[in-house]
Amino acid sequence: MKRFIARFAGVAGALALSVAAAGCSGSPAGTASPSGKASITFWGWAPGYADAVKAFDKSHPDIHVTYQAVQPGAKGGYQKMLNAVQAGNAPCLAQLGYETLPSFAAQGALENVAKYASADEGDYQKAAWRSVTLGGNVYGAPVDTGPMALFYNKKVFDSLHLKAPTTWAEYRSDARRIHASDPHRYISSPYMDYDYAGLAWQAGAGWFTTKGDAWRVTMDSAANRKVADYWQGLADDGLISSAPMYDQAWYTGLGDGDIATVVGAVWQAGVIKGGAKSGAGQWAVAPLPQWKKGGTQVGNAGGSATAVLKGCADPKAAWTFAHWLSTDRTAFGGLVEKASLYPAATSLLDLKQLGPDPYFGGQNIYKVFAAAAPHVNADWTWGPLMTKTVADLDDGLGKAWSGKGTINAALRTAQDKTLAEMKKQGLRVAP
Amino acid sequence: MINVAAPADARTGKRPPGIRPPATTRPGAPRPRARRLRPLWFCAPFLALFAAMYVAPIVYAAVSSLFTVHRSGLGLTAPSKVFDPLGNYARALHDGAFTGALGRVALFGVVQVPLMLCLALALALLIDAKSARGKGFFRLAGFLPYAIPGVSAALVWSFMYSSQSSPINRLLAPLGVSVPFFDGHLVLWSVANIVTWSWVGYNMIIIYSALQAIPAEVLEAARMDGASALRVAWSIKVPAIRGALVLTAVFSIIGSAQLFNEPTVLRPVSGGAISSSFTPLMSAQSAVAAGNYPYAAAQSVVLAVLVGVVSFVFLKLTGRGGKA
Repeated sequence: MKRFIARFAGVAGALALSVAAAGCSGSPAGTASPSGKASITFWGWAPGYADAVKAFDKSHPDIHVTYQAVQPGAKGGYQKMLNAVQAGNAPCLAQLGYETLPSFAAQGALENVAKYASADEGDYQKAAWRSVTLGGNVYGAPVDTGPMALFYNKKVFDSLHLKAPTTWAEYRSDARRIHASDPHRYISSPYMDYDYAGLAWQAGAGWFTTKGDAWRVTMDSAANRKVADYWQGLADDGLISSAPMYDQAWYTGLGDGDIATVVGAVWQAGVIKGGAKSGAGQWAVAPLPQWKKGGTQVGNAGGSATAVLKGCADPKAAWTFAHWLSTDRTAFGGLVEKASLYPAATSLLDLKQLGPDPYFGGQNIYKVFAAAAPHVNADWTWGPLMTKTVADLDDGLGKAWSGKGTINAALRTAQDKTLAEMKKQGLRVAP
Repeated sequence: MINVAAPADARTGKRPPGIRPPATTRPGAPRPRARRLRPLWFCAPFLALFAAMYVAPIVYAAVSSLFTVHRSGLGLTAPSKVFDPLGNYARALHDGAFTGALGRVALFGVVQVPLMLCLALALALLIDAKSARGKGFFRLAGFLPYAIPGVSAALVWSFMYSSQSSPINRLLAPLGVSVPFFDGHLVLWSVANIVTWSWVGYNMIIIYSALQAIPAEVLEAARMDGASALRVAWSIKVPAIRGALVLTAVFSIIGSAQLFNEPTVLRPVSGGAISSSFTPLMSAQSAVAAGNYPYAAAQSVVLAVLVGVVSFVFLKLTGRGGKA
């Protein structure tokens, strides 16, 4: 008997993954109750969403929204959502990063709400609206955007009589000065996946385009090689720290000046503030360094939408809530305070919560981002298998930043693997 | 098994030598059918859960692995699934990342499992020794790492290995030594170290329990015959707990095949040494990330079959492994 159990346990145990993939829990999608009151379930993870939902339920007697907190997308939330869609018991609405939205669409996991949403298009920034539309379909309401800027440790820069760099060439010479002043000091940490994508985005080095009904993958383009070569140069010269972003070593470095800058989106303000408390008063924000002197190119990193998932019984009510969450002044004020979300709605850019912050020495950092937002390159498309693409990219980037490969090779490999998987699944690929 | 076999033999009037029929069974009078089925009801809750939680998902995975995902154009509509029983399997066997992952965990198992079990056996024998002091303390101390969830343990170890913060390398620094824990060749053994640390105590407890079951008179007799403690351990105790050793070995083989938590947690700090398809389960997970559930299922089935075969061969090689 024991033998049987042991042997069976092998078979059963090894399949645990499939069990996890197949099993899911959730509540049924939006349903209209007999009383006519619409009921919507919403899955998300941003701090502040729960309070916003409470406020909505109070002010909207005809729609009842239930908020359920899930793991952040990349940490399991997206998988849970996809599993729920597969099982047919997904919620009506889900928080979805722009970069993942096309992958969800490619799995048939999203509902087209263009019918209800198109009238509100003018309320949103152009680039943000583009992020939730694909081939004429609208899949949700943009919530926040991630215009990028340069976070820098002003104390470190001041101590070396340096000003915030305005071009990438200056950034490189500052990197040398900082490292020369103290071998423990570095200009930055390695950039991975979507943080790296932001660097490419600024340079107009797109990764995906669509041509008719076919995809083109351009991670290995000349424009991308230029960005890669620049950062490869910094890495080869030993100017980049080995502390991975979001790791404790990174936060420590941000706090004690060993990592002098973060090239990142507006929400990094919340990350830096929360993780590197000892850096309070030392950090400041400057516009993104430019490839050409006097340029105004800006990249975007992150940002998310409230997307309508497949099977939603009441997409109209779902849109009503999603649009309200993105445009209500009081609700969004709370999101700025709790999650440093930068609104995608044009009418919210003057919120009083977007004001000076003592952590940043009293600087009103949002002014920098407000100036940057209109210059975010709107010509960027995410691919249909992003989770897989960035996993492959990170395999190579990890090696490149630690001196065991090159960023160019990482991009090339990620492109090849993405193309191979796309072809395997039958997606049309343009030559 | 004996209880089921005995009435059948009793009916034919033949008695297997050395086995007496249970007292309740009257020879020649088979029990009524309803009464014989009654014990099955006690198994029902187990069987129901077993069917729902183990059998059904396995069948689901096996069936879905027979389909391949098909999309068209930009793929912005739900993909269709086409019956292609060998498609995913052929792909898995030609997928260098997946076969590489299989080879990696095989190497891992061949080295790590014997090492860990020898360590567990040694610890169990030590706390079982007559002269041992502080048994309770050492039993608890050895078992404690098992109480820490795998992911938390891996997080702590990632800090110990990190080139930024490694207290191990800081201690070794005066000697001019620095261990490159995330070197391409060393990283598998850095993972093995975490797994060993986490599981040695668990296996030690199983082996220790088996040691407790050895009849005192056997040990007494050995001692009377003048056997040293070492001789008793090697010639009496180890053969007596063979069943427990085989059991822990099979569990450990299965555990190695399912390696996932530790490498996944270490991946972001490994500087590229741990890829997204480092182990077979990570490889299957990356197929899920690509929205290719059937391919992930096929990889899981291949892994399951291989583990089944390896466990079977291992049990065959170690003889009648079930006899503890």
